Amino acid sequence: MTIQFISLNAGGVFAQTRLENQDSTGFTHVDIYELPYTDLTPYACLVIGGMCDQDFLFEHKEIISSFLDEGKIVVFSGNLVTDWLPGGRPFVPKEIKSFQDYAVKIESNHPIFEGVLEDDMTFNKGVAGFFARGHHPLPEGAEVLLTLDGKEPITYIDRQSTNGTILVHVGFDLFGYMGSNDLEKTTSRISPQLKQWVEEEYSKTIQGVQS
Amino acid sequence: MRKIAVVYGGSSQHHRTYKTSEFAKHFHQLIPIRELAEASFEDIDVLLIPSQTHLGLLKENVEKIHAYADNGGIVVTFGPQGFDWLPKHDWEFRITNFWWWLEKDAKSGLVLTGENHDLFQNYLTLSDATWHQHGVYWPPEGSEVLVATEDGGAVFYIDKVSSKGTWINTTLDPDFHYGSYFMPATERFLRGFLPWLEEGKI
Repeated sequence: MTIQFISLNAGGVFAQTRLENQDSTGFTHVDIYELPYTDLTPYACLVIGGMCDQDFLFEHKEIISSFLDEGKIVVFSGNLVTDWLPGGRPFVPKEIKSFQDYAVKIESNHPIFEGVLEDDMTFNKGVAGFFARGHHPLPEGAEVLLTLDGKEPITYIDRQSTNGTILVHVGFDLFGYMGSNDLEKTTSRISPQLKQWVEEEYSKTIQGVQS
Repeated sequence: MRKIAVVYGGSSQHHRTYKTSEFAKHFHQLIPIRELAEASFEDIDVLLIPSQTHLGLLKENVEKIHAYADNGGIVVTFGPQGFDWLPKHDWEFRITNFWWWLEKDAKSGLVLTGENHDLFQNYLTLSDATWHQHGVYWPPEGSEVLVATEDGGAVFYIDKVSSKGTWINTTLDPDFHYGSYFMPATERFLRGFLPWLEEGKI
């Protein structure tokens, strides 16, 4: 099933650079402030990052919850700081005592992270801490994919808060690993596998909503 | 004490640095960027434009910000800039080496040229202003360059010649990295820089 993704552009310098470097097949990018004027009908998945104006998202939270209630999918990467995402709770930073506290662990085998090594997520050029620096407390019934050192959940899937599916990751844009310059690392598998998972997930949720 | 207003973009990084951290107390006013066009600057002494500000909305307000400086206001910008809008700043993009500190005999390549300035006499050290850079400025003659690269490009400068007011421009982005829970130097930078903006000799 081929589906369309819509990604909100936060509008700053880093977002511009990302747009220029990313493989955007299947993705439509719109400025965050265009959200209320955008027809979301053609899109199955809404991609949002923590660099977006979260006060603005809060003001327009109904757009996001309605989108989800149609059985669609939201992928959020970043730190939540306002209450705009169904089931979402504010980001909690981790108090770090040693680099081991930043160790990324796979909690349950999942197609998004299939073949991805924990160390490749934990370390970037030998330095830990790029993948996640804290966590979001879980909504009820959420499925945990990754943790920090077996403790705090850093990536989860929430199928209970809405009719759709929400994936929340506490670090950088999980779709940002497309066109990654670290192609020799297993993290380059994440973005295409995430895209594949969204397509399969959508075909399941949309059947549930229609039946 | 000078009153500082910041153009607030609502990202998680801005939320931490400007709204909820120990640094929030330094800001007299947060101006949501969507309200910048209507905002009054009458009650403030310093206008700070953060890193990763929305480029489209910034573009719409460039003239207003210049007018504020032309009327004697102090404008502060954190880097990197997404388009040319600072007065005669002559920005030169350079490939960022995020990893300089992993290299043997690591040198950041930064030189303190403003060692006699109040900011570096009483508030900051060079190491507090040392992390990666995204490029350099070649500011107009008469500007005071406080931190430079070894070849003389400006990383931090004060320009009192382009307007009746003052432009304080740096390519550094302490607010973004502090707001991302990255890099302790950015925290030390803000601990010195913001009190200086409020009460130091500019």
